Amino acid sequence: MSTTLEALINRPYEYGFVTDIESDAIPKGLSEDVIRLISKKKNEPDWLLEFRLNAYRHWLTMTEPVWANVSHAKIDYQDIIYYSAPKPKKKLASMDEVDPELLRTFEKLGVPMHERKMLANVAVDVIFDSVSVTTTYKEKLAEVGIIFCSFSEAVQHHPELVKQYLGSVVPSADNFFAALNSAVFTDGSFCYIPKNTRCPMDLSTYFRINNAESGQFERTLIIAEEGSHVSYLEGCTAPRFDTNQLHAAVVELVVLDNAEIKYSTVQNWYAGDENGVGGIYNFVTKRGLCKGVNSKISWTQVETGSAITWKYPSCVLLGDNSIGEFYSVALTNHHQQADTGTKMIHIGKNTRSRIVSKGISAGQSNNSYRGLVKISAKADGARNYSQCDSMLIGSACGAHTFPYIEVMNSTAKVEHEASTSRIGEDQMFYFASRGIGGEEAVSMIINGFCKEVFNHLPMEFAVEATKLLGLKLEGSVG
Amino acid sequence: MSAVMKAPDVRDAYLASLAPDVHSLAGPGPEWLNALRAEAAACVNSQPYPTTQDEEWRFTDFGLLRKTAFASAADISLEVSLADIEPFVLPESEKSRLVFVNGIYAPHLSACAGLPQGVVISNLAAGLPLHDAVIRTHLAQQVDFHNEAFAALNTSHIRDGALVLITKDTACPAPIHLLFIATGADMPQANYPRCLIIADAGSTCALIEDYVCLNQGVYFTSAVSEITLGENAAVEHTRLQRESLSAFHMAYGAVALARGSNYTAHNIAFGARISRHDLRIKQNGEAAQCTLNGLALISGRQIADTHTVMDHTKPNGQSTQLHKCIADGGAHAVFNGKIFVRKDAQHTNAAQQSRNLLLSNKARIDTKPQLEIFADDVKCAHGATVSQLETEEMFYLNSRGLDALTARNLLIYGFAEEIVDRIPVTSLIKQLSKTLSEQILEHT
Repeated sequence: MSTTLEALINRPYEYGFVTDIESDAIPKGLSEDVIRLISKKKNEPDWLLEFRLNAYRHWLTMTEPVWANVSHAKIDYQDIIYYSAPKPKKKLASMDEVDPELLRTFEKLGVPMHERKMLANVAVDVIFDSVSVTTTYKEKLAEVGIIFCSFSEAVQHHPELVKQYLGSVVPSADNFFAALNSAVFTDGSFCYIPKNTRCPMDLSTYFRINNAESGQFERTLIIAEEGSHVSYLEGCTAPRFDTNQLHAAVVELVVLDNAEIKYSTVQNWYAGDENGVGGIYNFVTKRGLCKGVNSKISWTQVETGSAITWKYPSCVLLGDNSIGEFYSVALTNHHQQADTGTKMIHIGKNTRSRIVSKGISAGQSNNSYRGLVKISAKADGARNYSQCDSMLIGSACGAHTFPYIEVMNSTAKVEHEASTSRIGEDQMFYFASRGIGGEEAVSMIINGFCKEVFNHLPMEFAVEATKLLGLKLEGSVG
Repeated sequence: MSAVMKAPDVRDAYLASLAPDVHSLAGPGPEWLNALRAEAAACVNSQPYPTTQDEEWRFTDFGLLRKTAFASAADISLEVSLADIEPFVLPESEKSRLVFVNGIYAPHLSACAGLPQGVVISNLAAGLPLHDAVIRTHLAQQVDFHNEAFAALNTSHIRDGALVLITKDTACPAPIHLLFIATGADMPQANYPRCLIIADAGSTCALIEDYVCLNQGVYFTSAVSEITLGENAAVEHTRLQRESLSAFHMAYGAVALARGSNYTAHNIAFGARISRHDLRIKQNGEAAQCTLNGLALISGRQIADTHTVMDHTKPNGQSTQLHKCIADGGAHAVFNGKIFVRKDAQHTNAAQQSRNLLLSNKARIDTKPQLEIFADDVKCAHGATVSQLETEEMFYLNSRGLDALTARNLLIYGFAEEIVDRIPVTSLIKQLSKTLSEQILEHT
């Protein structure tokens, strides 16, 4: 990574909060009172408070998982502020006021001008007024009956839907971090696609209508009714700064008969400095339930940020003929650690799943693929294909593969293959002899390596992701 | 506070019941051996009984073992005659055979005559006075009994065992047959076979480590084998586990490879109610080579678990592994193959394949090929498949006049035979091929 970018990433975020933080934050620590307070501040119904308290009580009995191939200092859960109200940011008058390094990153990534302004928190001009953009979107979605709003709004306006589906895929006691999230989540996204509706556009979190900070314990719930289809984008390629070190999000997807959800993520959170100091711990539980027949869930992720990533987007293939897909690129550099992969749980008949995982390790980082393919006894005719490739750049990094394959049905077919490679001197020489410089060559090789995954990203994401990887690896190959 | 760290005492009553009592720890052997056994006995007490809560034991529940009390085996070797072991005798190894009955050396069944100079094949107790220094340097040095309760259990019981020493640049002319017979007596017994094999620089030998039974009784075999290869040594090691279908078999193997050495293993498991084989191979020198072939053919309520660790620590190493499992009936096959490529092990070439045939809906296969790579200029790949017989292959055979059952058996046989065929001893291939076809027939 270039020194300028490092400087950029390491810089404390100067343009942030200006309001008095003390005024609407509660003291550090976690207790039933804190949860009651969060619930009250958000004006939640009793059943949701009950849900939170149950999760919290169960969380108290759980211990932090240690099986992941990552190491970090012990997290003090009493040293975290679990609620602070969304704070208005100071608006900048024009792009001239924005940090030039941030602009350079945008330039490199090719982020569209109006998005740059939103990301840099610049007041947007008349033509690209974010309010008008989002209003247009909102109108368009409302026309077809799609609900896309913040989780808090959904709790107020669509409590019946939230109540029906919340915790139905990731139970509140599922794992340590999911339980913590269930107890203290403050906001997130909610999306409901009605029957036989094809969402007319890609839904993207950073165009979410209320534009509030989603925060540390994000909760996402997406429901695709029979015959519907939605493509959902989470995150963005621009570096994201955050003062919270621990992030424990939960994402639940429910897909009914003949419906499909395509969920794409690009994650580029602060990864710590080159000595591994700081950076975000990203401990996420993402799971989709293919509840109906012929339903489909497709996860695509590009993970480049965070000091530690602990994330296994999974598919529970309950409906007959349902399909689960997982396409992932995980890049680690410096001292980053990633333990990521997927779970494909085949329960219904003729269920199919496909896993393509590409891990790139550079610097002193460690990158692990951990996956489970489970074919239960009743999943006749289940089929799985998994492929996980690793690339190592430099001799101080590590690549690990932990695939679990559990088969209990004799008509199942499961295939797994993994390989390891690196950017060879001969490849670099080949590019050099054709007049292509080091950085560009690396970018092209990486792009080729990840092509299978990028092909599944929405167009604009794919273009940015390619550039992002090149940017993250700047200076890694000499 | 005492500055000395003491191992926590998590004494498990069942493991403790298997450990030797304090008085028997002071045996007639040399002082260092008694000390080693005492240390191992202490390790038995400092380790919990493995359960499915432990990642390494997740798929294999050895809880059933706990339900049986085992007495240490008594010496009844004289009750076994040459005629009894006839079916297992290999003509190739007529003069290089060591036989143990319930883990205890049986000289009247063994035959180690006319061995060339530089080849020592004997029981450990007899070899001790002659080779004390060598044995002391190697015994219990590779197997990690401080962290493996059952390896500690075996070590605490070392009285005797098989000893093979091949000195520098010596080629052992005949395959060495180490035959471990379990009588499957009326009373459940625990046997503790132990093997120590040292192949010095430039030497070559072929080994057959063979676990068989005379009766289908309940017994427990806890085995440990340690193999050390010197520079450029070559060892071809066939390990057969054909225990009683009611028996428990828990084995540890540890292999150390020096520079340029070559180790080939054929691990075949047919028997035992529950079996587990832990094999750890460490390439301590550059350019070491290793080939691992494995086959587990099980049915009924059998569980066969194979855990292998292939540890590349030096550059230019090679390893190739092919492990096959066939599970029928309500059987459960487990494979866990780890490949480590350490930071210094540049230019390693490691390939691993796990191929599994699942023949019944009540059977289960869990496979976990695992790569951990810390060096960048390496070639590593692994693959795993779980499948059943191909309908197209069945159709092909049917179209040539084979009925469904014959076709099925032929395909299963072919799948397994690929591994059996790699064994370097002809008579053994014949023996196993016969067992194989019988077993496949039995299952159908």
